[in-house]
Amino acid sequence: MRLEKCWFCSSTVYPGHGIQYVRNDAKIFRFCRSKCHKNFKMKRNPRKVKWTKAYRRLHRKDMTQDSTFEFERKRNRPERYDRNVTENTLKAIKKIDKVRVDREARHIAKRLKPKKAQLQREAARELEQSISMVKAPGALLRDPSLTLPIKVKVSKPETVENRMEE
Amino acid sequence: MEGKKPHNISGLFDEAKKLKDGFLSFQIIHVLRNFHDKLSTIIDDFPRLNDIHPFYGDLLHVLYNKDHYKLALGQINTARNLIGKIAKDYVRLLKYVDSLYRCKSLKVAALGRMCTVIKRVTLAYLEQIRQHMARLPSIDPNTRTLLICGYPNVGKSSFMNKITRADVDVQPYAFTTKSLFVGHTDYKYLRYQVIDTPGILDRPFEDRNIIEMCSITALAHLRAAVLFFLDISGSCGYSIAQQAALFDSIKSLFMNKPLIIEMKLEAMKTLVGHGGEATDVSNVLLTMSTLTEEGVIAVKNAACERLLDQRVEQKMKSKKLNDCLNRFHVAMPKPRDQKERPAFIPQSVLEARAREAEDDAGKESRKLERDLENENGGAGVYSASLKKRYILAHDEWKEDILPEFLDGHNVADFLDPDILMRLEELEREEGVLQGLEEDDDFEMDGAELTPEEQAALTEIRKKKSLLIQQHRIKKSTAESRPTVPRKFDKDKRFTSERMGRQLSSLGLDPSMAVDRARSKSRVVPGEGFKDSAQKKKAIKIAKSSSKNRNKEARRGEADRVIPTLKPKHLFSGKRSTGKTDRR
Repeated sequence: MRLEKCWFCSSTVYPGHGIQYVRNDAKIFRFCRSKCHKNFKMKRNPRKVKWTKAYRRLHRKDMTQDSTFEFERKRNRPERYDRNVTENTLKAIKKIDKVRVDREARHIAKRLKPKKAQLQREAARELEQSISMVKAPGALLRDPSLTLPIKVKVSKPETVENRMEE
Repeated sequence: MEGKKPHNISGLFDEAKKLKDGFLSFQIIHVLRNFHDKLSTIIDDFPRLNDIHPFYGDLLHVLYNKDHYKLALGQINTARNLIGKIAKDYVRLLKYVDSLYRCKSLKVAALGRMCTVIKRVTLAYLEQIRQHMARLPSIDPNTRTLLICGYPNVGKSSFMNKITRADVDVQPYAFTTKSLFVGHTDYKYLRYQVIDTPGILDRPFEDRNIIEMCSITALAHLRAAVLFFLDISGSCGYSIAQQAALFDSIKSLFMNKPLIIEMKLEAMKTLVGHGGEATDVSNVLLTMSTLTEEGVIAVKNAACERLLDQRVEQKMKSKKLNDCLNRFHVAMPKPRDQKERPAFIPQSVLEARAREAEDDAGKESRKLERDLENENGGAGVYSASLKKRYILAHDEWKEDILPEFLDGHNVADFLDPDILMRLEELEREEGVLQGLEEDDDFEMDGAELTPEEQAALTEIRKKKSLLIQQHRIKKSTAESRPTVPRKFDKDKRFTSERMGRQLSSLGLDPSMAVDRARSKSRVVPGEGFKDSAQKKKAIKIAKSSSKNRNKEARRGEADRVIPTLKPKHLFSGKRSTGKTDRR
């Protein structure tokens, strides 16, 4: 049993899922679900389809090369079973995973960081300019902070007869 | 007639061509040709009893009676000749006829006579013979043959089934085998024919039926080794005395043939003397049993051996051999030095032989996996431990269950003896990177908005989007939306309460504005009302006056009305130019 990678979106294909296509030149294409399979049949290039890992790696949205990727390598020779090695490996896999996930998150945060500063500046500007939409200038004079005003209750109306008599 | 026939027919053909009614005679000739060919094929393809091997000749005589056979074929021959004659006569007659009608009637007569001749011939008998002959076993009379004979039901067919691949019917009643059956077996790289015969009863020669005659014929003509079967136990239904009598009566047929007498089901030596009266030296007595299969192979080997010896002997005696002898030369190499050159047998073979020898003594075989399976409950219950023979560093690791996947990874891809070392390096790296990260994060926090400011910003954005939405709706429905003045405001978007609420949400005190808005119910001096109450009442009465009418959907002042539906001036008078609605 082996977990394979989907040729189109690079997600893992678990046993019992997906379709495997063998071409006449003996190249095997594995797909995780019919979405990927149908896209393949339409001859779409995964490097141009936004949601695939291939696109993301190509356009440097996700982490491309890292030392954590070197731990996972497909070996063609079977190794003789050794209990200690296997134990260590199992523990190591978990730690490597954690490291890898942290690094990926950091990569994405770094990518988004410059945008964040700009967004903050824009937000501050918008607030300053449009505060009059939610706070009347009178209220602003009274309380110059850029926050929502305190709501004033509507007072009771005077009787109309009194007014007419005037 | 036969020799002349082809010439005659072509001669007739040439003649026919010349005639003015050549077509009719051509027809006769054509029919003649067909009959002739077909009948000739029949006559030629049936075997002539004198030309084939006497074994087959006799067999056919036994089965079909030589005389009947020859008669039938002769009848066909006569028919063929008759037809030829008829055709010849009528073609000649055609020459001397003047009218076409006469020619035609002559042709009809000729064809009719030919058909009558054919009708008299019986082909059914020959057809049956043909079908039966096709099913006769193909026995080569000249090759090495073993002949099995004896009383009915002694076990000849079972023996045959054992040594060859033939599948002869074996049943408990006598005369199960009704004709000859052939099988083949091998001995010393040579092929032997084995012929199973039907049983023979002890009767005078003239009383024998066809089935028995088949076996007699085979015995008589085939140069083979004879295996005579005796059933001691009497389960065939005949006593030993009867069988012995039969043996004596057909003894004459065993001349020049190696004979082997089979005792079925273990005989005692004392009975032997009783069984064979005039036993000559060439007899061999053997015991065997087809049920337990002991001795069957021994019998076969003995029979084949003896037959082979006899045949080789005969070949040696014959004159042909002397011609070949000078072509044979057996070379005996002389030893060139004193060196010993024994046969080379590999060590493993010697060991295997030794093991076999001691195995035979003790008959111990090692415990197979299959035996283990049967002990523990059979095929469906016991599942073999495939890990039993693993070669690992420590034996207690054999039963370990190893996971293949972990968290979406193949464990096999990560297996590495020095993975711990590499992991340590990685963690060190990670520590360093994290340190760098924290330094970077500190510069950012200045320009953050407070939560209240964030709330204000959200509010602003909400309002903006609302405005945009409304504008879009207004734009899209602009053409179909009527422009209605504000006082007909059904959605109550312009009430004073609303205005009050909006103003208060903006942070202003709305009371003054609301009061000012309420002044629409104030009386303007000059309108003619005493006070606002009266004005309100007046408005109310004005509204209620039209309320009922509107409810009843009656026509009001503003509804268009046609006072007269059919005015006279439009419906009278002659038609002239103009539309009908205004004439």
